[in-house]
Amino acid sequence: MKEYTVIGQRVPRIDGREKVMGQAKYAADYSLPGMLFCKVARLPVAHARILNIDTSKAERLPGVKAVVTAKDFNGWTWGFMANTRDEPPLAMDKVRYYMEAVAGVAAIDEDIAEEACDLIKVDYEELPAVFDPEEAIQEGAPVVHDYRPNNVSVEYHWNFGDVEKAFAESHLVREDRFRTSRATKGYLEPPASLAWYDPAGSITVWAAKQSPYFHYRHLAACFGLPLSKIRVIQPFIGGGFGGTKNDSVAGDFCAVLLSRMTGKPVKFIYTQEEELTVSKRRHSMIVYNKMGMSKDGLITAIQSRVIADGGGYTAVSPLTMYLTGCCTPLPYRLPNYKYDCYRAFTNNPICAAMRGHGVTHTRFACEIQMEMMAEELGIDPVEIRMRNAIDNPKPGEIYRTINDMTLKTCGIKEAIQTLVRDPLWAQKDEAPKQDGSVSYGVGMSATSYLGGARQLGHQSCAATVRICEDGTVNLITGATDCGQGSDTVLAMIAAEELGVRYQDIDFKMVDSAYTPVDPGSYGSRVTVLAGQAVQTAAADAKKQLLDILGREWKVNPGEIEIKNAEVYHKSNPSRRIPFDKLAKIACYSGSGAVIIGKGYSGYGIEPLGFENGRGNAGTSFSFTAQTTRAGVDMETGHVTISDFVIAHDCGRPLNPIGAESQNEGGAVQGMGQAIYEDFIMDRGKTLNPTFLDYKMPRSTDVPNIKVIDIITDDPDGPFGAKEASEGSHVSAPPSVVAAIHDATGIWFKEQPVTAEKIVKGLKEKGKWPR
Amino acid sequence: MSQFYRRLPRLQYFLPKTLDEALSFLKEHKAAARLFAGGTDLVPQLKKRETDIPLYLVDLKGIQGLDAITYDEVAGLKIGPLATISAIATCPFVQDHYPSLFQAASSMASPQVRNRGTFAGNICSAVPSADSAPALLALEASVRLLGRKGEREVPIGQFFTGPRKTVLEADEMLLEIGVPSPKPGSRGVYLKLSPRHSMDLAIVGVAAVGTCEDGMCKDIKIALGAVAPTPIRVPAAEATLEGKRVTPGIIEEASQKAASQCSPIDDHRASQEYRRDMVYILARRALNRVLVQ
Ligand SMILES: Cc1cc2nc3c(=O)[nH]c(=O)nc-3n(C[C@H](O)[C@H](O)[C@H](O)COP(=O)(O)OP(=O)(O)OC[C@H]3O[C@@H](n4cnc5c(N)ncnc54)[C@H](O)[C@@H]3O)c2cc1C
Repeated sequence: MKEYTVIGQRVPRIDGREKVMGQAKYAADYSLPGMLFCKVARLPVAHARILNIDTSKAERLPGVKAVVTAKDFNGWTWGFMANTRDEPPLAMDKVRYYMEAVAGVAAIDEDIAEEACDLIKVDYEELPAVFDPEEAIQEGAPVVHDYRPNNVSVEYHWNFGDVEKAFAESHLVREDRFRTSRATKGYLEPPASLAWYDPAGSITVWAAKQSPYFHYRHLAACFGLPLSKIRVIQPFIGGGFGGTKNDSVAGDFCAVLLSRMTGKPVKFIYTQEEELTVSKRRHSMIVYNKMGMSKDGLITAIQSRVIADGGGYTAVSPLTMYLTGCCTPLPYRLPNYKYDCYRAFTNNPICAAMRGHGVTHTRFACEIQMEMMAEELGIDPVEIRMRNAIDNPKPGEIYRTINDMTLKTCGIKEAIQTLVRDPLWAQKDEAPKQDGSVSYGVGMSATSYLGGARQLGHQSCAATVRICEDGTVNLITGATDCGQGSDTVLAMIAAEELGVRYQDIDFKMVDSAYTPVDPGSYGSRVTVLAGQAVQTAAADAKKQLLDILGREWKVNPGEIEIKNAEVYHKSNPSRRIPFDKLAKIACYSGSGAVIIGKGYSGYGIEPLGFENGRGNAGTSFSFTAQTTRAGVDMETGHVTISDFVIAHDCGRPLNPIGAESQNEGGAVQGMGQAIYEDFIMDRGKTLNPTFLDYKMPRSTDVPNIKVIDIITDDPDGPFGAKEASEGSHVSAPPSVVAAIHDATGIWFKEQPVTAEKIVKGLKEKGKWPR
Repeated sequence: MSQFYRRLPRLQYFLPKTLDEALSFLKEHKAAARLFAGGTDLVPQLKKRETDIPLYLVDLKGIQGLDAITYDEVAGLKIGPLATISAIATCPFVQDHYPSLFQAASSMASPQVRNRGTFAGNICSAVPSADSAPALLALEASVRLLGRKGEREVPIGQFFTGPRKTVLEADEMLLEIGVPSPKPGSRGVYLKLSPRHSMDLAIVGVAAVGTCEDGMCKDIKIALGAVAPTPIRVPAAEATLEGKRVTPGIIEEASQKAASQCSPIDDHRASQEYRRDMVYILARRALNRVLVQ
């Protein structure tokens, strides 16, 4: 194995000190002289035709400088694909979900802006509304968008092999209905931006975006400016998790337009309650799953019919529904597969991407159903998984799924076997099963997630590595660290490839005026794709340096190596100079030189078919097996999760601390989805838009977590890396629900498995005492 | 038009230095003035515009000595209106003599909220799920109120009149919570059921205080939170047990009565049925802890 000097070290985060000291500045922390505050006015009805908006009273309020409504955007709409651009910055003819934005106000302070929102009078006619996705796609349901009279916003129908024949020949076939939670990201930093429309005709924003370049394109299109005039400066980002911060929000468009109208900088900050009421959340999906098995428990076929609650607009959901279907053939061999999905428009808030995007829904259904069938066949949870799991391809070989996804590495079997040896599973029968009213259970799951996600359009990441004359290095990429730690990993990759120390690398955050275009943070793509770009750029810079030194030393540049910021002749290691000396020699060669290495990613350029479901949605695939120990109070239904063990194949953890904490965070977020988190809705209105009532796990709910690395060194990743940030989000819910089953004897098919649902389940089984 | 949490409304802030100053200000401005203790209940309510917006906030924190917690065997426990939830949870008198109050205080909110919030504020805001209330009810506490008409003492059982409603007059303030000394040999417990392991409002809270002497139940008091418009006592359940021999059957019967005497609501936090079921479970546990174990 290659020896690394930086990769694999437990280094402190590159931004750790600033964040811990409270010095890191987030979008809301920025201000400019003369700045105005923007607030968004919203209509508290779920579905209504707008008849008139009267802003005159608001405009007359002292301190108000400008008010905008939909008409000021001249009918511009936006969306993920050319044929799904259905979302206006402010509602035009109707509102399609509760508290959709109808106007934006700029005032000299936040209080006046809030007051002005109260003075905006909207005349509207309430329309019949639809909130249940299954009802929405029935004939005669209220229509949310005229361009989709059947309320189906996205549908795919894929068919691989012959499921009917396979079911007919199966020993056992089961059909179940599963449902996933209406979950949200729960970041601490709600959407915010400071916008400045320079009268000379350019826009600068300091915006909380995990995909700043999506926002850059939105602003150029909305305001009819060339991209060269759009400057998105990325501050520190207080959490992303997909969805909202990949996109733009009403406040973004309003702040820029209000700045243009007033000639002043304009800032908006959503409140957390506003975020929880209107921002994009995870789809809740109903999965009708049908699985066939042979007598020995081999999966013969899966048919999934998925109905997703999409809310009022399309957003990124063509991708959501793709991911929900495409990964079902992982991590188990699957010879026949059929997928039919319908994403319904409803009058609920918009649903979009979130960590574990798409895959979490169908994998939850398949994983639980597989265990239910194993139980019927008398096959143990480990055995059923080992019989079906995909083998790790031999070096140079490829495993191809039935829908043409390709694996070069797969550590799922090793991960399962590792968990089987771990005490939590190995000693589960010796641990107490009952203590007073509490029953204990241990559950397992085995899952997969894509890394280096690809969709359509511009997918590449780029980097430049600039050598300063004192031997320090500026790393410039288009990648955004929204908290996952990617800046740290990218700096490590640059240091390793160049041969310098981690602390010699300075990381520059995105400024679209200077940094290269990049899709941003989603789909576990940054380490893989921006990582490849950084590695290539560092190699380019290194080559330029060594070429110059080769001429100086009159040796073949290939004879020189750089390691730990020391430069030496390979066959005569005593001939050496420190790296800073090399930098100086190079930068001052001739009358002065510029050493800038550049590179961009090239993995994952095979075709991908949204319509037929064929191809790789990612560059590579991580594999996760997880065990959970849970205690269930059989009287109150209260669940206490005491342990998680996660065996995770991310290829190779480049920054072990980062990989561990991503696994922990993903699993805890997945646990929230499994037992706590859900938006409680009443006719489109969110009843629990606060963190007091929307129950995310707190530190007091978090179990002991052990993360075990399974090293597979994928050839399509920098230093063997795959993804490490979403896999455990997918593995947690089925593993938690399996543990609850082990404790209670009941399979719960609807997330979140709350205490109340458990008591109801126990009552139905006659296992409850009253 | 927006119904979200807003910035605070514009208010005048008044920081009296003495009780007299505070009281005469209240007398002058009545409902236009609102007392401000920790603010952990009041501030979110003001931001949400869920309460009438007063003209004045009267911050009690400028008055010396209101945070006292004292105990003696005759007078019992006296809790000042600025005694924080944390101070109560860490007070040795409380820990030694009033385990149910200690359990209630430690079950509330988060360390940050406990460091600011007070028991007085918890009762005066009179939400049905207030955690201190069942324990105080079961301990037969009383509150001392001071106002224009002078001072009066009100048993805690008569203090709450509805959700967010109490007998407090606009110009009155709560001066002290008094808890009688525990009866010799008595035990107490407060059990709170909530979805997570911390930072949750109670779905159901059950407090019980009582004595088991030679197998006979004495002085049993049972109180419930979050299952009626106000925190309540359940006399029928108490009567089932009072003076009777303690048996599993009688505890069962009393717990069933507690469940049938409450009138919980269905809301986004829990269903009526679940709340009622949990009164039964928690009452049974509480009674076993007080009378059997
Ligand atoms: C995140 C969070 C979690 C919470 N969790 C819990 C929980 O688990 N359990 C629980 O029971 N509560 C909880 N609460 C509610 C709140 O913290 C408590 O009710 C707290 O005890 C209130 O005390 P305070 O001093 O902050 O009251 P304040 O907010 O200052 O006052 C509350 C009300 O009482 C009035 N008042 C205050 N002092 C007096 C007085 N001396 N005389 C007359 N009127 C007075 C005020 O005018 C106001 O109407 C939570 C609150 C938050 C924000």
